[in-house]
Amino acid sequence: MRSKRTSVAIAAVVAAGLALVVSACGGGGSSGSNNTTSAPAGKTFPTLKVVWGTTDYFDPGLSYRLASWQLFQDVYLGLVVKAHVSCQTDNCAKIEPGLATTTGKVSDGGKDFKFTLRKGIKYSNGEPVKASDFKATIIRDFKLNSPGIGFFSNIVGVDACEGNPTKCADISGIVTDDKAGTVEIKLKTPESDFLYVLSIPFTAIVPASTPQKDTENPPPAANGPYYITSYNPSKSFVIKRNPNWKKNEIPAVPNGNPDTIDGTMTDDQAQAAQLVASGQDMYDENILPVDQLQHYKSQYGDQIKFFTTPSTYYFFMNTRLAPFDNLKSRQAVNYAIDRQQLVNLRGGLGVPTYNFLPPSYPQYKKITPDPYPYDLQKAKQLVQQSGTAGQKVTIYTISDVAVDLSTGEYLQSQLNKIGWKASLKPIAGANYFTIVGNQSTKAQIGFTDWFEDYPYPSDWFNILLNGEHITKVHNNNYGNVNIKSANKEIDRLDSLPPSQALSASTNSAWAKIDKQYSDNAATAPYLNGILTSFFSSKMDVSCDVFTDSQDDLAQFCMK
Amino acid sequence: MATTSQEEFTLDTAAELAAEEGGAQIQGKSPWVLAGRRLRRNYVALTFLGVFFLIVICCLLAPLYVSQVSHVGQNDVRTGATIVEHGKKVNVISQGGTKIVNGVPKIVFGGVPIGPQWGAAGGKYILGADELGRDIATRLLYGGRNSLFIGVTASAICTTLAVILALLSGYFGGIVDWIISRFFDLIWAFPVVLLGIALGTALSVNGFHHFGINISGSNLAIPIAVISFVFIPYIGRPLRGQVLALRNREFVEAATAQGAGSIRIMFSELLPNIASSVLVLFTLIVANCILTEVGLSFLGAGVHLPNPSWGTMIQEGSNKLSTAPGLSLFPGIAIALTVLSLNVFGDGLRDALDPRAKIRIEHG
Repeated sequence: MRSKRTSVAIAAVVAAGLALVVSACGGGGSSGSNNTTSAPAGKTFPTLKVVWGTTDYFDPGLSYRLASWQLFQDVYLGLVVKAHVSCQTDNCAKIEPGLATTTGKVSDGGKDFKFTLRKGIKYSNGEPVKASDFKATIIRDFKLNSPGIGFFSNIVGVDACEGNPTKCADISGIVTDDKAGTVEIKLKTPESDFLYVLSIPFTAIVPASTPQKDTENPPPAANGPYYITSYNPSKSFVIKRNPNWKKNEIPAVPNGNPDTIDGTMTDDQAQAAQLVASGQDMYDENILPVDQLQHYKSQYGDQIKFFTTPSTYYFFMNTRLAPFDNLKSRQAVNYAIDRQQLVNLRGGLGVPTYNFLPPSYPQYKKITPDPYPYDLQKAKQLVQQSGTAGQKVTIYTISDVAVDLSTGEYLQSQLNKIGWKASLKPIAGANYFTIVGNQSTKAQIGFTDWFEDYPYPSDWFNILLNGEHITKVHNNNYGNVNIKSANKEIDRLDSLPPSQALSASTNSAWAKIDKQYSDNAATAPYLNGILTSFFSSKMDVSCDVFTDSQDDLAQFCMK
Repeated sequence: MATTSQEEFTLDTAAELAAEEGGAQIQGKSPWVLAGRRLRRNYVALTFLGVFFLIVICCLLAPLYVSQVSHVGQNDVRTGATIVEHGKKVNVISQGGTKIVNGVPKIVFGGVPIGPQWGAAGGKYILGADELGRDIATRLLYGGRNSLFIGVTASAICTTLAVILALLSGYFGGIVDWIISRFFDLIWAFPVVLLGIALGTALSVNGFHHFGINISGSNLAIPIAVISFVFIPYIGRPLRGQVLALRNREFVEAATAQGAGSIRIMFSELLPNIASSVLVLFTLIVANCILTEVGLSFLGAGVHLPNPSWGTMIQEGSNKLSTAPGLSLFPGIAIALTVLSLNVFGDGLRDALDPRAKIRIEHG
């Protein structure tokens, strides 16, 4: 998902997570977890006031931004859920039963997943959760032309929907029985990461009666411990306890401490930090203003947390448009950016990288020697050799996040230095990714980032760079990268039996794909991000749990 | 009467001026000469005119400042540069980074730009740097060029169009007057800034590509066109009233009797008689146009990044007020001085040209 925050996923966590997938695929399915994350008694409190970055949508079928997903983890649940535990102390990559009683029974060599729904679960609007709602949810995703529909391409019978998403009527590979409460999903080929797919918001179940259009105020009925009562785009939201949630209904999902979560939305980092510093709000979801990091750290000490993230910040280059349809042009961009200076623009919060995959993955292999060391002269030569010198280049970036705007201005300066006529196109953060992900925008080059949806390389290469998944709208492959041999290899690795998903040879194969994209200068990766969490003095920071979607608001507590 | 500490400076009439200077000195002098004399006595207005010219000259000399003093261009990004300050090497932007030690990030904070050097760095970064290592003083001068160019050009276009419309409306009357007056009403109905933002944003996204005219969104012609358009009624309306009052005067009838055509009457008879008002309104509208440009650029609908204008500079510095107040403060001071000088001079000019006039720029 796109910025701005997510959790730590270290190699061991990834391994453990996939090990669980392996065990689930071994058949039988695990029983409901006893690892309850219910709120400790006496930690509830009336209102949690937070300041939040703006986001694209508040509909789980449409949003692909962390700012939304962080809230959705306690609102919209799927058949399975990611563990609501800290990545620093627990296995946060673990998949646990959500609305289903188990993590599923897998058969037919990893191609058939069967789940049984828990009984008696109701949505926030009072409707019961039915098995058929799952199928309706996936069909709704297609009708919305959701950015998540690429995750479903391996489901049997999905071809018609992929051909014409808005006319999607049925998916034969999803068989549901409301009476028995069962959901069966048939895949075309085994898919090692499919359980992870079932834990992301695109597969979170919403009522079949939910309008098949962007539904935001109020958003679709919830099935988790909280529901969203109102959303004023880019301004505010209110989340309250779901009146139909029964305490400890799903052991893996916390009941939650705050009764109400009252959110103010802004991308102004200085303003957001000030709201928390003044005590008006209790938690800042935005990154702290980079020029004030030292000040805040010295003033507020432990109320600020820094943590590494499985994220990569990079510049996309549209390989269908000149000058970036030329390898030399893309290489020139890679040589023209000083990665250390781009880290510095973020106040030092980042680690320079040339790899697309973050270093926390077992599949990561640092590309050595540095393939594109900062070299303006070489970049100029490459632009000359490409025959594109003097061409106009439009750089897309986010306008209302100061550091993203500076990053865009930096790139513009560098591209002008190496011989292009670069101009800047700043777009508001709430719409940015939707606009550059629309083919009609014809975005040439621009800023983007990626935070893992789940800890497996297919979440990076398959979604962001596999040419077979390029779409007209909500396209995640902004550069329209399409290297056929890489596509084929990604598909092969993605359909390996789970038992081979983490083998040394598989890991090595993913690392080779990373290198292949680097050799082709498919993108210009520049850093792995470090993010901040800022709590007011009223909050007990020891309660903070970094889940897979970062801080879990439900588990916040006060001093 | 002469100016006193309590009274407004107005050398009201030729008679009063005569009393002040002696009747012989004003006899046979044209109104322009008399106005010049009145203006010469308004030292406050002249001082502020001097301030305005000083600002303009400084901005015009920006390239010289870059080549001889700062050696940093307006858009030169120098994130990794160093300067020598009192013989010591200093980073223009403090350098930071992160090392991961056993999974724990060890962070050295960086990214903070250097503050004003006031000459300690041999002319570089006199007013400090921004987050990309660009020289604020250089950008202030180039930003001034953009802001003043847009403000003055937009005022000139706006005044020209408003004069033409006012002459047409006031001279022809009838349906022509009705159409032009409703057009003025239509624009007048919108608050200037709101209309400016709406037009500026719409045009700056994709530019203007109609009627065979192709202007890119980043072209300065866009804010110039928008600003000149939104201020038309604020000049056109008072001038129309003056033309209406003049069109039945004897000198117009005399010209008509001599066989003069409409265009000649409008531009040779009526226009010279409203020229003093035009001049005063132009002076006052320049300040308003500069302010509107600043507002539009601040909101992203004016000058496009990375090119500076005083508005974009304030916007860029607005989130760093606590750590680098100079980023917004210096362009803010420049705007205040420019607008103040134009307004004070405009008032003085009005008093000199037409001491009894009630011309004021009013807008919503």
